[in-house]
Amino acid sequence: MATGHPIVLPGETIDPSLIPSHPKNPLRLGPGLRHIPPTDIVPTVAGQLITNPAKNSMWIEYNSNRYIPTPSDLILTQILRSTTDAYLCLLSPHTAPATLPHLAFEGATKKTRPVLQPGQLVYARVALANKHMDAELECVSAATGKADGLGPVGNPAAGSGGCAFDVSLGFARRLLMARSRAEGGVGVLEMLAGEEGGGLAFETAVGRNGRVWVGSESARTVVLVGRALQETDRGGLGLEGQRRLVRRLVREMR
Amino acid sequence: MPREAEPSLNEKQFVTQALQENLRLDGRQLDQYRPLELTFGDQYGVADVTLGKTRVLAKATAEVTVPYIDRPLDGIFTIATELSPMTSPAFEVNRPTETEVLLSRLLEKTVRRSGALDTESLCLVAGQKCWSVRVDVHVVSHDGGLTDAACVAVVAALRHFRKPDTSMEAGRLTVYTPAEREPVPLSWLHSPLCVTWSFFGEDGETAVLDATWLEEQVRVASCTVSLNKHGEICQIAKLGGMPVDAVVLLQCTSVALVKVKEFSDLLDRRLAEDLKKREKGGFMAELRAENDR
Repeated sequence: MATGHPIVLPGETIDPSLIPSHPKNPLRLGPGLRHIPPTDIVPTVAGQLITNPAKNSMWIEYNSNRYIPTPSDLILTQILRSTTDAYLCLLSPHTAPATLPHLAFEGATKKTRPVLQPGQLVYARVALANKHMDAELECVSAATGKADGLGPVGNPAAGSGGCAFDVSLGFARRLLMARSRAEGGVGVLEMLAGEEGGGLAFETAVGRNGRVWVGSESARTVVLVGRALQETDRGGLGLEGQRRLVRRLVREMR
Repeated sequence: MPREAEPSLNEKQFVTQALQENLRLDGRQLDQYRPLELTFGDQYGVADVTLGKTRVLAKATAEVTVPYIDRPLDGIFTIATELSPMTSPAFEVNRPTETEVLLSRLLEKTVRRSGALDTESLCLVAGQKCWSVRVDVHVVSHDGGLTDAACVAVVAALRHFRKPDTSMEAGRLTVYTPAEREPVPLSWLHSPLCVTWSFFGEDGETAVLDATWLEEQVRVASCTVSLNKHGEICQIAKLGGMPVDAVVLLQCTSVALVKVKEFSDLLDRRLAEDLKKREKGGFMAELRAENDR
């Protein structure tokens, strides 16, 4: 994770010199910060305070185990059952289900909606997440009407289901960063597909709810990628550690 | 009542498919256990067993009570298991789930009914006073292999446990405090341990040792063999599920013996280490006035 950023605790006073100021843009607060009118900005979780002066925004990077849905998060969910007009999906075990409308798929109409079995994994986006309400998911971009890679992942009935692995929420976020190697310090997937891993062929879907789906032709590759991800997460490995891990796993599982 | 969350279709299909190729999600061999760790508490009779992410705590206690009327010469020995909601939201207090009932039944069958603890030695005054030994098993974290871990914990706790010394003089029973007299260990006859096999595939042809929680949810059958390091089988439990070939079961028991010998060695080693740590260097060392300062 990025270093050099101050660590804050819940309820702590933030040093005013850390708060970015911009002549025109309003200050934007991200996850983990709360504005108490008129002038206080208070962290609500423990983590690293990150600021972006160009966008005049600040937020907190933290790791946790409980996923709280936030709009436009990409998540890997599991179908619980179908109701008349929506699927009920589990974001994490033992929490209230989210709804995924039958018509929230690419090109879906009342007659041509996808039929998903209970237990199927679906890669979706959180469309709506209000407090005290069940979250709503979608597998289609409302603006373009395209799926953009969202939808059911793998085909368990045909024997190519892939597998989902649990990781911590902070690690899932680092994997999802646009420049995950530079900003998040995670290069394990690139290494597996690149020189260190001997060019393994696999596909992944990283859910912000701490689940990563890995699919490949060969079961060995899926297990290898899954183990690499979980061990990187649990061991808190840096880039050099990840390189060594990938080399070791590839040697072990040849 | 909350139900246990089911694994997804993808995971179910993948676990079975990978096991057919002799692959497990954590990279273990099919007959390989996760690393088993055993530590003892400061008090006598507290054992903490971790098996991968599974963790079980066992605590043995003893008190003087009246024996059962139909068994005036026997002491009382009970095992109580508890799966708390901390382990999984599917478990509730005071409402035992099937997992919990099966776990306590298996432990009773393995440890109590195999006569591992000599209950006659717990008798103090025939028909009037006896020791009641109780082991409380707390499952702190559940990631499969509960029976195996819990059995190691129970056996370790009982072998580590020391009950207060007693004496009978002219019909008067005296129970000594640890300061007066060194507590005495229980009369332990043999150490039975459980080994659980899980079977996968359409005909249950793939046999796997120490299944994780995900694998336990996918398996088609399971079989628990309890035996001691001499190869004496105390019980075999195969409760429902797919039928399994008798030859496969025979192979399973012979592999189980190897594993039980490993666990027994670990148990002996840890007990010896703990004894050494508690050893203060004999009577003379205790009488010395010198101290670390």
